[in-house]
Amino acid sequence: MDQAIVSRVNELMHQGFEIPTENLIATARLKEDLGLDSLDAVDMLVHLEEKLGSRIEGERLMHVKTLGDVYVLVQETLTPPTV
Amino acid sequence: MKVYITGMGALTSLGLDTHSTFEGLLENRSGIQHFPEWEKYNGLHSHLGAPVAPYDIMKVPRSARRSMSRMSEMATLATMQALGQADLTDESCHSERTLIIMGSTSGSPHTLEAYFKQLFERGGPQGQLSTSFFKVMNHSVPANVASAIGYRGALLSPSSACSTSSQAMILGWELLQTGLYDRVIAGGADELHYMSASIFDIVLAASRNFNNRPQQASRPFDKDRDGLVVSEGAGVLVMETEACIAKRGGLPLAEVKGGAYFCDGSHMSQSSGEAMQKTMELALARAGLKTSDIDYINAHATGTLQGDAEEAMTIERLFGRETPVSSLKGNLGHSLAACGAVEAIASVQMIKNEVIVPTRNLDNPDAVCLGLDLVREKRAKKLSHVLSNNFAFGGMNTSLVISALT
Repeated sequence: MDQAIVSRVNELMHQGFEIPTENLIATARLKEDLGLDSLDAVDMLVHLEEKLGSRIEGERLMHVKTLGDVYVLVQETLTPPTV
Repeated sequence: MKVYITGMGALTSLGLDTHSTFEGLLENRSGIQHFPEWEKYNGLHSHLGAPVAPYDIMKVPRSARRSMSRMSEMATLATMQALGQADLTDESCHSERTLIIMGSTSGSPHTLEAYFKQLFERGGPQGQLSTSFFKVMNHSVPANVASAIGYRGALLSPSSACSTSSQAMILGWELLQTGLYDRVIAGGADELHYMSASIFDIVLAASRNFNNRPQQASRPFDKDRDGLVVSEGAGVLVMETEACIAKRGGLPLAEVKGGAYFCDGSHMSQSSGEAMQKTMELALARAGLKTSDIDYINAHATGTLQGDAEEAMTIERLFGRETPVSSLKGNLGHSLAACGAVEAIASVQMIKNEVIVPTRNLDNPDAVCLGLDLVREKRAKKLSHVLSNNFAFGGMNTSLVISALT
């Protein structure tokens, strides 16, 4: 995983949702471990879009369970997989 | 059924709690400041406001804080203060016998401005946060308070601009009389924004001539008054029935003897003396008191030409020169939806401290107010019954009677 993406996402999670940096590990579950709910998930998407300058399909959030999933989502948004 | 106040909380332009606010009133301080950044707004002539000092909201969990605008934050802190004083920080206030009644003039003007600015710039809702709406919905203040304190019970959100919180208290008193509830947590809040100043400025009701002398602005009953100064804040009171207090062992601070609200239905912005009189008479009748029983009138008097004159003439007609009168708007500015509760709290403090807070900036009483006993210096006086007036756009009039414990 691109460490620049990890840093950007972690910074957003820390600043936007007040999550202590030590809790920001790839295996952390958004709901159970980081305390984010459905409203936070929507706002996370908005923050990510603003930060990345790219649109992310809201439906993709349905499959995001961990912080690691968010890293992957961001990476795929920035560098869409080639066919 | 007797109803008592058992807890009070406030954030005002003079302090972050009821104690510091009252100290500021006794010291005759002003919370009004000049806002040079408002000079850039086309058509806005009043550049004065009375902000609340920075406060600590971090004790409220992020999950509750994220949907709060400034008005909800202040209302939450005021509610926590009131519940703390009433010793109701345990589970007992979460009950189907408790009712929260709170409101604001509108949803958060700061959020409304930001929301629509982005909406127009982007041609749609792209980039809007999910929590924005919770800051602008009409019941944003009580809903956020409930969320912050984990409240489970009945909730109402009346909104009547500058009479919002006084109406909340009177409505609470009425509903407690029905026996349906034991306890009401009543109040209101508003946040400072240039839009609030402009609403009054556009109808020539906001102060324009004191932009360079903010401490002299807001001059209720004075001949040089030129309009009100908007402020912000929150005021919250816990009101409980006598039986409820006896059952749980609470400590009453003062009695809410009665109150009334009455709409004149004649003009949106011009107050009606006839309706003011009717409201005060109704409040007195509900309290079972005569005009001669009232020891002090806390006037709404915001420093506008017409409103102050109408209220002064009405008070003179009803009470003559026998009853001392003052307004707190010269100190606090006009906190709109919060002012009724804040002034009710100050009235309780005046009763308990046996002192009347004078009207700040009342240097030369207007000729139309000379028939009143206007309090211009701090005056020691035992107060058994206080009448507190609040009036609002839309022909709204409220009068509330607060009495000393007997």
